[in-house]
Amino acid sequence: MNYSFDFQSISFAPLWEGLMVTLELTAAANIIGIVGGFLLALLIMSPIAVIRLPAMLFVEFFRCTPAIVQIVWFFYCVPMLFNVFLGSMTMGILALGFNLMAFNAEAYRASIQAVFREQIDAGIALGLNPFQRILYIVLPTAFRASIPVLLTNGIGIFQQSALVAIVAVQDLMYQGKTLATETYRPIETFTVVALIYFAVSFPVTQIVGYLERRRQLLMS
Amino acid sequence: MTAPITPPLVRMQSLHKSYGPAMQVLKGLDIEMQPGERLVVIGPSGGGKSTLLRVMMGLEKIDRGSITFGGKPYISSDGLDKKTNIDTEVRRSIGMVFQHYTLFPHLNVVENLILAPCKVRKERKSDATERAVGLLTRFGLAAKAKAYPAQLSGGQKQRVAIARALMLDPKLMLFDEVTSALDPELVAEVEQVILQLAAQKMPMMIVTHDMWFAKNIASRVIFCAGGVVVEDGPPEQVLGSPKEERTRDFIDRVFHIRQ
Repeated sequence: MNYSFDFQSISFAPLWEGLMVTLELTAAANIIGIVGGFLLALLIMSPIAVIRLPAMLFVEFFRCTPAIVQIVWFFYCVPMLFNVFLGSMTMGILALGFNLMAFNAEAYRASIQAVFREQIDAGIALGLNPFQRILYIVLPTAFRASIPVLLTNGIGIFQQSALVAIVAVQDLMYQGKTLATETYRPIETFTVVALIYFAVSFPVTQIVGYLERRRQLLMS
Repeated sequence: MTAPITPPLVRMQSLHKSYGPAMQVLKGLDIEMQPGERLVVIGPSGGGKSTLLRVMMGLEKIDRGSITFGGKPYISSDGLDKKTNIDTEVRRSIGMVFQHYTLFPHLNVVENLILAPCKVRKERKSDATERAVGLLTRFGLAAKAKAYPAQLSGGQKQRVAIARALMLDPKLMLFDEVTSALDPELVAEVEQVILQLAAQKMPMMIVTHDMWFAKNIASRVIFCAGGVVVEDGPPEQVLGSPKEERTRDFIDRVFHIRQ
């Protein structure tokens, strides 16, 4: 291989700008995902079918289609069908946020349903009413249990957000593509871009691993 | 016939309970318990012991039968509709401790103790905390007041669970195999606490596999098998020289301690 690497021509300013946009997308999508996902989880556990079924359909749609299709669909179909266009950044946030909402809803549901039957029995034996049992026992326990999955999903969205570059959101990936074209240095550019994604994601996955190990210790 | 001066603390009449048509767990149970009694229920697994306590706590519906508590109607089901009537006001005067530690993992020891008093009885947090610390001190757990359940040993967790139930001043305590999940060396500290309560005349219903404990704590022992009461009497009789064949078999086979 006689390719000579040249990292000199990569300018970091646009990549830094792109990273800020990517982080903004990630943060906003996570707010939607963490709050909305919780509400959605309550809906998919509803005993009333009229509430439960549409919510389940929403979750399954986002879980069973590729994220890139969801993003493209959001950008082209939503404006046409509903006659709204909110700017590419907002649309990107919504597309990613709804996707995350669906995955987080499943995480919440699983941990709510995993709260031990005996914990709830203890609540009854202590005279707590059904509302108090949910508020003081089920939800705090379930929320803590779902934190590792929420973090994993959240950092997943950080990576998935690269997809919104195809609809002209000027995130890290978009800036990388532009830079690669300008400098004719795609290998160097995408290497740097990949390293940036890695540098942000890796610590988070380590934290998740630590939390999971700690949780296993606590539960044993 | 002379009427008793005080009504029985608990009167269970014709309790029927099944999990589906094939699993009849209680087949017409009649038990009466007087104030101040400490009832130990023994018997083979699946004989309905734990179900009996869970029904008493109002955690399980019944198919038919009734329970009164302190002379007041508490639980009833006429068997016609699928409804079990439970008086939740009466239920609040009963406390229960379970086999697996059911401490709330996100709350520390004191918070576990004061949750129900503050939320259910609307007691002031400072008052409840003061009572909690008092109880913990009595049980030798004062140093653990701020610890989280995960930082406690099994025996400590179970003692905290007992203290938590006592915070609501129960008129009857139910203990469902509370030492079964413990390492052998931790059993004694939990049993000591229960014996301490017994010394203070706390009425209790206990399901246990520990015959030494049964003998020491019981004022009366019931042998329960196949969903009915097979034998009922003082501990020396039921554990020492049972009258019924099935009780004798059980004591011989499972515990090997028939004196």
